[in-house]
Amino acid sequence: MMMASEDEVSLLVIVVDVNPIWWGQQANREPQFTLSKCLDAVMVMGNSHLVMTRTNKLAIIASHCQESHFLYPCKLWKFGDGHGDENASTSGDGKYELLSVANDFIAEEIKNLMSRTEVKGNQTDTLLAGSLAKALCYIHRVAKELEAGQEMKSRILVVKAAEDCALQYMNFMNVIFAAQKQACDITGGLYLKIPQKIALAQYLLWVFLPDSDQRSQLVLPPPVHVDYRAACFCHRNLIEIGYVCSVCLSIFCNFSPICTTCETAFKIPLPQVVKSKKKKLKPST
Amino acid sequence: VALTAAKGVLRVQLQCKNLHEYLKELSPEILDRLYNHPATCLAVYRELPPLAKNYVMRMLFLDQPLPQAAVALWVKKDSEKDHDQCVSVLSGLRLWHSQQLQGGLQGNILNPVFKDNLRIALLGGGKSWADQGDSLGPDRHARDVESLDKYALERWEVVLHFMVGCPSAAVSQDLSQLLIQAGLMRTEAGDAPCITSAGFQFLLLDTASQLWYFTLQYLNTAQTRGMDLVEILSFLFQLSFSTLGRDYSVEGMSESLLTFLQHLREFGLVFQRKRKSRRYYPTRLAITLSAGVSANSSSTAMGATPGTGDSGFIVVETNYRLYAYTNSELQIALVALFSECLYRFPNVVVAQVTRESVQQAIANGITAQQILHFLRTRAHPVMLKQNPVLPPTITDQIRLWELERDRLQFSEGEHKYGLYLQCIYSLCLSFILQGLGCLVWQNVAHRVIVVSPQGHGEVKRFWKRQKSHT
Repeated sequence: MMMASEDEVSLLVIVVDVNPIWWGQQANREPQFTLSKCLDAVMVMGNSHLVMTRTNKLAIIASHCQESHFLYPCKLWKFGDGHGDENASTSGDGKYELLSVANDFIAEEIKNLMSRTEVKGNQTDTLLAGSLAKALCYIHRVAKELEAGQEMKSRILVVKAAEDCALQYMNFMNVIFAAQKQACDITGGLYLKIPQKIALAQYLLWVFLPDSDQRSQLVLPPPVHVDYRAACFCHRNLIEIGYVCSVCLSIFCNFSPICTTCETAFKIPLPQVVKSKKKKLKPST
Repeated sequence: VALTAAKGVLRVQLQCKNLHEYLKELSPEILDRLYNHPATCLAVYRELPPLAKNYVMRMLFLDQPLPQAAVALWVKKDSEKDHDQCVSVLSGLRLWHSQQLQGGLQGNILNPVFKDNLRIALLGGGKSWADQGDSLGPDRHARDVESLDKYALERWEVVLHFMVGCPSAAVSQDLSQLLIQAGLMRTEAGDAPCITSAGFQFLLLDTASQLWYFTLQYLNTAQTRGMDLVEILSFLFQLSFSTLGRDYSVEGMSESLLTFLQHLREFGLVFQRKRKSRRYYPTRLAITLSAGVSANSSSTAMGATPGTGDSGFIVVETNYRLYAYTNSELQIALVALFSECLYRFPNVVVAQVTRESVQQAIANGITAQQILHFLRTRAHPVMLKQNPVLPPTITDQIRLWELERDRLQFSEGEHKYGLYLQCIYSLCLSFILQGLGCLVWQNVAHRVIVVSPQGHGEVKRFWKRQKSHT
């Protein structure tokens, strides 16, 4: 088995749902698993990924209700390096320096993010589709800035807290189709609902750390039944049977003569007039 | 350096062990002591096959042994061979042990020293690797990354220049001694050292591989210098994980480690303003040392590290013309090892790869594979965009020229001719064929038999017996 070549870059982007309302409610439900515990597990996962190979890259995006913010890497750093301010003091312990700098930075950033955003309302959904779009743009940018002769594999890990929200359906589907064009390995994705949240780190390391090559070798949780129901474009309800515009493929729950997306006019189908057939009498012999 | 007598022609083949091969040769006690430092554990971990890395990660946070049968279930049916390979790699490096579980089953558990130190490297805790230099305050004479790169390149090129025989290159006694011990140069009674065939091959490697090979040689002589192998190896790994452009303090380093630091300064792996400076800067060469560790992995590895002068400058065309965009004497000398230089301009050298020049290089002990590796790792970025990097005509032809030399095989033999009578000839032949197995060649028409030197005595005795009978 060949060792991974040094000119293959593996980029992992982790999108974490940090909606403060959901996490606040969670703190009352299960005090032993809070947002900081979740982020600890995510950081262990990120550290493990960075340590695997010299050329591995990492990005972490926090998905908040009002913005998506990059927790790592920092915009100001020289691209791709984990080198921050050279005068930054390190942790003073045995942690690998690169990881120390990264972890400290992530902790600072999430603190700033949570303290500066004012939360209104009690929606528990976040801008997940927007964060995914940002992740895809970042991947695209890294791919363009590779050195000559380097190839890149990338994957996105989404750690989702709150339940799904059908309002974002269309945005989600757009993002996923964009990703499919960009990176064909999206069809090799894994979904896991974690029964014991406190063991998040173990699930992350066992199931999500291996990259696409190793996934073909390891035994991983089987695919779960996916709700493939589409949401109608007029009410955002999930429907099983509906009407599809033949021009732009938008889905509606009720027939309407004009498609609202592409403004094509459709004729109302009339019942067909059936001509009666004259039966030929067989000549009796 | 291994000497292989291939078909009667002595060819010195440069062989460089990778990290795992090197570690497997160390005694278990030294290995366990080595794993006592987080940097070593990280370096060893990075060299594992990808599947083994996942195994280690899964077991890193377990304090109980896992049944071997359970671990075998982690892989799918058609990856069982990979699983077995992982098991042998992990056991060979003493990264995990077998332990009996309650109930009699065999279990696997990670080497506790390795486990603790890898956890520390990943999560924190434990002792700091080295004093981070905070106590010294900011450096008034701070060096930036570019000047560090320039320094490293200069120092390493002095070593290479010395090997090629440039009179202006001067190195310390220690270093020239090391080169001789490594088999890269040889010296005859009092003369200045001159390069060997292995040295030629060494010159064509990429910088990271050269450094690693050199380091291995240095480590082999460490015991004789009175240095502690574990100490300097741990320090080397620590260097390879340090941050470029950051200074570190020499606080707390032992005497032998400080001597080692001076040697590293000479090779260009660290920069120190003065011998007695309290701080040092690792250069890019030290940090890419770990890249050379897997030097044997694949011949397509680019290996070109930016800033070390290895960034590509050679363009190879399908008409066997070679354009080297450099004015470094060393690089030009290297290109001239296997090609004929035609023109030289201020910024480019035009050369032609010919049958004579390649076979001349091969006569010096360089292999076609090494020439191609050299061309690939110094390929100009324009060349890197095409796939494959080198034109197939060129790679095939260079290999064919190498094989041409092997069309003839030389074996030593003793010539026996003048067997006047056909019956005596066939008698001799049947005797030899019966059991001696030393026949090298025979010609019925001229009644000539050639036997190997070992069989010569036997055949001679037989011949004398026959002569006395007839």
